[in-house]
Amino acid sequence: MPRLLEIHKASKAFHSPEGGTITALDEVSLSLSSAEFLTLLGPSGCGKTTLLRAISGFEPLDRGQITIDGQEMTDRPAHRRPVNTVFQRYALFPHLTVGRNVSYALEIAGTPKAEIRTRVGEMLDLVGLAGLGQRGISQLSGGQQQRVALARALVARPKLLLLDEPLSALDKNLRRQMQLELKRLQEELQIGFVFVTHDQEEALTMSDRIAVLAQGQIQQLGTPEDLYRHPANRFTAEFLGESNLLPVALHDGAAILADGQRVPASGRGTSTLMIRPEMLGTAPVADGLTFAGTIRERFYSGTSNLLIVETQAFGMLQALLRADAPIAVPGSPVTLYAGRADLHIIPGGAT
Amino acid sequence: MKCVTPLGLYGVLFLAFVYAPILLVVVFSFNANPINMMIWDGFTLDWYRLIFGMEAKAAESASYIDSTAQLYAAVRTSFVVAFATTAISTLFGTALALAVSRFRFRLAGFYRGILLVPMIMPDIVLGIALLIFFVTIGANLSIGTIIVGQCTFLISYVFVTVSARLALLDETLEEASADLGATPLQTFRRITLPAIAPGVLGGALLAFIISMDDLVITYFVAGTGDTTLPIHIWGMLRRGIKPEINAIATLMLLFTLVVAAAGLYFRQKKE
Ligand SMILES: Nc1ncnc2c1ncn2[C@@H]1O[C@H](COP(=O)(O)OP(=O)(O)OP(=O)(O)O)[C@@H](O)[C@H]1O
Ligand SMILES: [Mg+2]
Repeated sequence: MPRLLEIHKASKAFHSPEGGTITALDEVSLSLSSAEFLTLLGPSGCGKTTLLRAISGFEPLDRGQITIDGQEMTDRPAHRRPVNTVFQRYALFPHLTVGRNVSYALEIAGTPKAEIRTRVGEMLDLVGLAGLGQRGISQLSGGQQQRVALARALVARPKLLLLDEPLSALDKNLRRQMQLELKRLQEELQIGFVFVTHDQEEALTMSDRIAVLAQGQIQQLGTPEDLYRHPANRFTAEFLGESNLLPVALHDGAAILADGQRVPASGRGTSTLMIRPEMLGTAPVADGLTFAGTIRERFYSGTSNLLIVETQAFGMLQALLRADAPIAVPGSPVTLYAGRADLHIIPGGAT
Repeated sequence: MKCVTPLGLYGVLFLAFVYAPILLVVVFSFNANPINMMIWDGFTLDWYRLIFGMEAKAAESASYIDSTAQLYAAVRTSFVVAFATTAISTLFGTALALAVSRFRFRLAGFYRGILLVPMIMPDIVLGIALLIFFVTIGANLSIGTIIVGQCTFLISYVFVTVSARLALLDETLEEASADLGATPLQTFRRITLPAIAPGVLGGALLAFIISMDDLVITYFVAGTGDTTLPIHIWGMLRRGIKPEINAIATLMLLFTLVVAAAGLYFRQKKE
């Protein structure tokens, strides 16, 4: 049984106006099973949009293959590919009403009028725009336009939906709400989503799997938990969430920290030990690491306290403590503990 | 006196400078005095009657004998030419604008520049060039050469107005259409064309009005057989300025205003 989407060693380079070449995609391979929510995450310019456009057929690849539902897509023009896209700026047709925007794909496909009417109605219901079919596009708020774009892309019932930073134009509250709705829709309709964002929080909350991209290459592909707890390299560790990164020397089955503390680890050479701020606590842990230092700053956020602690051997460390944990004031000494299970040595992650 | 600012005064003088001559022509067209137009002799519609070949009590000296039939023929030629050139130049001008903006090819910028040249080229030069060209290839000067000759520069006008509109069109709209399954032709009909329609309509109206009005270039390539309205009027003037001319000018003014108003109206409806 073929996967819904399979990308094999997709490569694409652009000629820059200055005369050089920019590698937008560098042998990117990934696959998606049906009804999976995959997020492409990465900094600006890393090739997310290019990859999406390669899937939808607007950007021909230099090398590599793309198959959708077992069918080879490489030479197929965009209008004959069984995917639909939600564009970053929505790209709604300004001269058509909301209803006609949504019905566009069905009109093109020659669907009978009566069926178009019921399906457009259903779609508008689904995205919470019932009764707005006669409105013009300019009479809608940003969030409503977002929903129209979604309805328009979903009405033809594609198996695969591509979304290019669909929420980036919305304000924070609306964004949160749309994240939940998108996830609900995706689960309800059981379609595959390839979702682009450069917001790591968004990626962590919504995705089944995340592909972290940098400079046209996939840095790591895995579940949000996987990526967060066991980043494969320094880039992923720093890009996803906050982290304390400490240089270690690998030796005789142990990682040796700068102050001489040891934890069991395999390999040799130098590497990087990652401790997430929330893994550091003030309660003593047997068999873990201990860091003594001075509190330099404290940020209270309601649910938590972020401490910036200065240590002699490692410089500044961040520790995220529960808000009700006993806290000393800035300037006073503190000892932080990390359990062994919460440590992660980044493979090959030399500093 | 305190409300007369220098700028306000300038505005009034400017309006007078532009519109006074035109207003005079309109007023004169209703003046009954057949000899001296500057002296108001009472209101009359005689000059309009003359144009339409109706009985008028005006003195013979005030009219161009034989004018009515020839005038009609000239008007008809002008309309035939204007409709033909409008159709041709709108089609080709639009197609060129699409090609230059959509397809990335070498020298696109150069090509764009070339297309603007006929607009700024002196009419005399273009007229002479066309005449020499037609004579060289042995073409009979006729209504056909008028149409071809006018199209050479009218296409540029359409190209410019459509290009301006195309520059405003968001290309992702066309991608969105393709993404939803539309073939390139369907995308053009449903998305591109509605978006540039005001530009196409504007270009067509501009071409129509300029064609109706062109004297210099048409004069060179018209030959002796077919005469357009501007050439006919030019011929009449050489036989002296008679009140009839005012009536013809007033009617042409009215026609142009109606066409322009229709253009504005349709454009507003589109928005
Ligand atoms: N048509 C093009 N011509 C030349 N270079 C391009 C073109 N499209 C993209 N690029 C380059 O390819 C690289 C990847 O671009 P892409 O749009 O895929 O980035 P992105 O990850 O989507 O970034 P963002 O988060 O800012 O949208 C960038 O360096 C960009 O400058
Ligand atoms: Mg992008």
